[in-house]
Amino acid sequence: MPPRLCALCNEARAILKRPKTGQQICKECFFWVFETEVHNTITEAELFKPGDRVAIGASGGKDSTVLAHVMKTLNERYQYGLELFLLSIDEGITGYRDDSLETVKRNQQQYDMPLKILSYNELYGWTMDAIVSQIGKKNNCTFCGVFRRQALDRGAASLHVDHIVTGHNADDIAETVLMNIMRGDIARLGRCTLICTQGEDTIKRSKPFKYAYEKEIVMYAYFKKLDYFSTECIYSPDAYRGHARVFLKDLEAARPSAIIDIIHSGETFEVKEEVKATQKTQQTCKRCGYMSSNELCKACTLLEGLERGMAAAAVTERARKKLDAEGPAPENLRTIPFYQQAHPPTNAAGLPI
Amino acid sequence: MSCGNPTVEGESIMPRRKKYDKTRYCVRCKEAEGNIVIRHAVYCKDCFSPLITHKFRKGLEPSINRKPDLSRRTALKPDGNLLVGVSGGLGSTVLLDLLHRCYVSMDESTMPSDGGRQHPRHERVWKKVTVCYVEMCDAFPGMRDRTSDVERRVAQYAGLDFVPLRIQDAFDPEWCRKVHASRKESSFSVDMTTEELRLSAIASSSASTPLQALHGYMSSLPTATAVPTTVQTLVRLLLLHTAVQSGSSHLVLGTSLTSLAVSLISGISQGRGYNLKEEVQEEWVPDDSDEPCPPGSGSKQGGARARKPYVRVIRPLRDIGRKECALWAWWRGLNVVGKEQQPWSGAKQDIGILTREFITGLEKDYPSTVSAIVRTCSKVEPKGRAGGLCALCARPIQDGVQEWKSRISIRSRDGSQREPSPTSATLTPRLCYGCHTTLTSRSSRPAPSLGLPSSDRSTVPLPLWVGSGVPRSRLSEQQMKDAVSEFLLEGDTS
Amino acid sequence: MSGLVSVKVEFSGGLELLFDNQRSHRVSVPSHVSTSGKKTLNNNEGTDAGEGRPADLAHLILWLRDNLLKEREELFVENGTVRPGILVLVNDTDWELEGEGDYQLRDGDDIVFISTLHGG
Repeated sequence: MPPRLCALCNEARAILKRPKTGQQICKECFFWVFETEVHNTITEAELFKPGDRVAIGASGGKDSTVLAHVMKTLNERYQYGLELFLLSIDEGITGYRDDSLETVKRNQQQYDMPLKILSYNELYGWTMDAIVSQIGKKNNCTFCGVFRRQALDRGAASLHVDHIVTGHNADDIAETVLMNIMRGDIARLGRCTLICTQGEDTIKRSKPFKYAYEKEIVMYAYFKKLDYFSTECIYSPDAYRGHARVFLKDLEAARPSAIIDIIHSGETFEVKEEVKATQKTQQTCKRCGYMSSNELCKACTLLEGLERGMAAAAVTERARKKLDAEGPAPENLRTIPFYQQAHPPTNAAGLPI
Repeated sequence: MSCGNPTVEGESIMPRRKKYDKTRYCVRCKEAEGNIVIRHAVYCKDCFSPLITHKFRKGLEPSINRKPDLSRRTALKPDGNLLVGVSGGLGSTVLLDLLHRCYVSMDESTMPSDGGRQHPRHERVWKKVTVCYVEMCDAFPGMRDRTSDVERRVAQYAGLDFVPLRIQDAFDPEWCRKVHASRKESSFSVDMTTEELRLSAIASSSASTPLQALHGYMSSLPTATAVPTTVQTLVRLLLLHTAVQSGSSHLVLGTSLTSLAVSLISGISQGRGYNLKEEVQEEWVPDDSDEPCPPGSGSKQGGARARKPYVRVIRPLRDIGRKECALWAWWRGLNVVGKEQQPWSGAKQDIGILTREFITGLEKDYPSTVSAIVRTCSKVEPKGRAGGLCALCARPIQDGVQEWKSRISIRSRDGSQREPSPTSATLTPRLCYGCHTTLTSRSSRPAPSLGLPSSDRSTVPLPLWVGSGVPRSRLSEQQMKDAVSEFLLEGDTS
Repeated sequence: MSGLVSVKVEFSGGLELLFDNQRSHRVSVPSHVSTSGKKTLNNNEGTDAGEGRPADLAHLILWLRDNLLKEREELFVENGTVRPGILVLVNDTDWELEGEGDYQLRDGDDIVFISTLHGG
């Protein structure tokens, strides 16, 4: 049998079956479609403008390593005119994050980008190791998730960037669409398929890999021989999300387009106006100044619970009331440092819901 | 960020609750010991019946009058008759039973207690109630024909008409003429090997039998998921056309809360997010709506006034879980005809079945999951403009679907979409995202064989209703004249 | 104490097809489960009853699987209990109110298994 030709260029020998379309293509065409689709995502959403300072949320894992590589490639190829930075968060997980940060430091050399590392310890006075030793493994992902999101925003502010890009891929988004529907989380359902949302101080956050399959990201890293760190976090994720992940993988096995089909579904609907009206409006946290839907932002609430030895306070309504009943917060509570944006926000329009 | 759990943002935990709250006593009468737990709430057997009939009426009555009416004192005056779609399964068995008790035999115990006997809701609502069953055994070899079982089951209730159909009626010109599903004499076939789905007209001389057409269509579907999805769409359209033909303004289906949650998630997973609304409730106006009403449709209801035919599809069990349905059937001694589908080789590759297993497993540990799914989906609405109705499933198409597809997944190197030549008609622009995906999206493995005799032609016949609206390849002289008339100079009208 | 407990078992909603298409069965199962025991049981185990813990509903389910079930076990049992989507009634009451598998069998109990997996 003669070698099978690439379905895209009809010249080179096909060496892989593309997970997203099932087409058999050659290596060069794979790089080209992968990068061009990300470029399409960026230009269609008009994510950047020349001169933007953009931080890449870098964990050392496959998604953010490939993201850094592709952002650098596209920035040069299409002359986006972006100034790129690497921003890493050190959660303080021994045997996991300390190793992956070594990868990020190598990436800094390889890609020649400035790197900023911000630690939970520095911001919150707690490492994840310390948090887990106090609260156990059960809800620790809640803490880590809230803390990381805020840490990224604060780190970005200290770098004076306009924009953070993260390595969330199509699988992550499809899974989140399903999760938000099953949990009835309307506010997040409306937001989760948006390519770009606005965080703290109008720093934009976006997901250029929104339509990139996890399998293709791994393939890209493999064929480009990119240096990444691949170990699962030692503190395990929650069971409910685990179910959704397994389900999504089953769907993908049944019909590979399922991932993109779910994202398409998520983009075709929006929260009804009358439902939006009943949702909480955003305010700023009275303690640290971060945007929040309550008087205290999630991170400050979690932190207060930790400091007062009542870690469940921000996890359930009931525990929060119990905390309030215990009296006001002590005077000497830690305030999470607030980094001021250096230049006036470029987009001061209303915050997203 | 890759932490293995990347999108956790707060309330990631889903605490497992005890199966029932507080006590074993019924939450309604607070006297009797409970017999059933419904999503954490305990009910006794005596309170269970009125609870179910109440939920059933609440799921149906506000949609009976043309204008949605929430007042409980208005008389119920539907625009036409009622069609009940049954499969012989649990949901439709319970639906038929409730419907007969409440609206045909007028069982007093199901009536609202307030307002006394003069309450307008005590009058008979529908003049004619028809039950329609679509036998699908010809699409799955080895499946038993259950038409007579279902017919016997329906015959146990007095006062119902029974219409048995077969799935291949969708390809039967005889049936189409009878229900006015298509005015076109010609039918079309499609080439399923390409993304554009090229169409060609079938000459009536070379037409195959409806059964051959069904087999050709089914066996050329690319994935296991496409098979049951296609069957469902065929059944839905057969029911809709039957509703119009029987002069019915309402079609009711036995979709329970649990099955609704499954079909919502399964629909989302197949790219049908734009049609979530229709999955819950829809109103369908036949394509040829300028046609006179078929005989018997509504015109007798309010004098000679002919109504424009429309069919409102309602799922009155949408607030009643599968568990409550099973218990209703058990306590009422109802025999469920349908049995679990024979496992075919494609089951593990079928998104519908995967979703059902996933939701069923989740419901066991987290009983509120199904109602959360349905509630969430009721809080969203389709975004953007609709560009007509899908030729296959007759639901709204979102504008710009094909552009989206080609931008997100590049399939050719020249960048631009290959424009199909204007002379060859294609099906793709007339399909919704979900139906296009059903016909074109492939799996890395070939679709499991249905074991049906497949056609040796490269193109397969389409359901006949797809015919209406396809542009004719040859315009009549008059049509051509009309099309160019504004460019013609005066006097040049020879 | 007698070595056997006698209960009525009924199957509905299509489950009867797995049990020889017979809806109602009267069965006698050992009233006590050997505590040393494994999960699988057989008919002869009833002989040395009187030892171990009293037989519960979880035990009955496995006993039915091993002694009465005729085909396709995966449609009845999953992970050592009934498959999700099967409703269990103990004397006309949801087993969730009776402690599910921990319910201790008594002579004359009426146990019903109903499959809810038949769709619309």
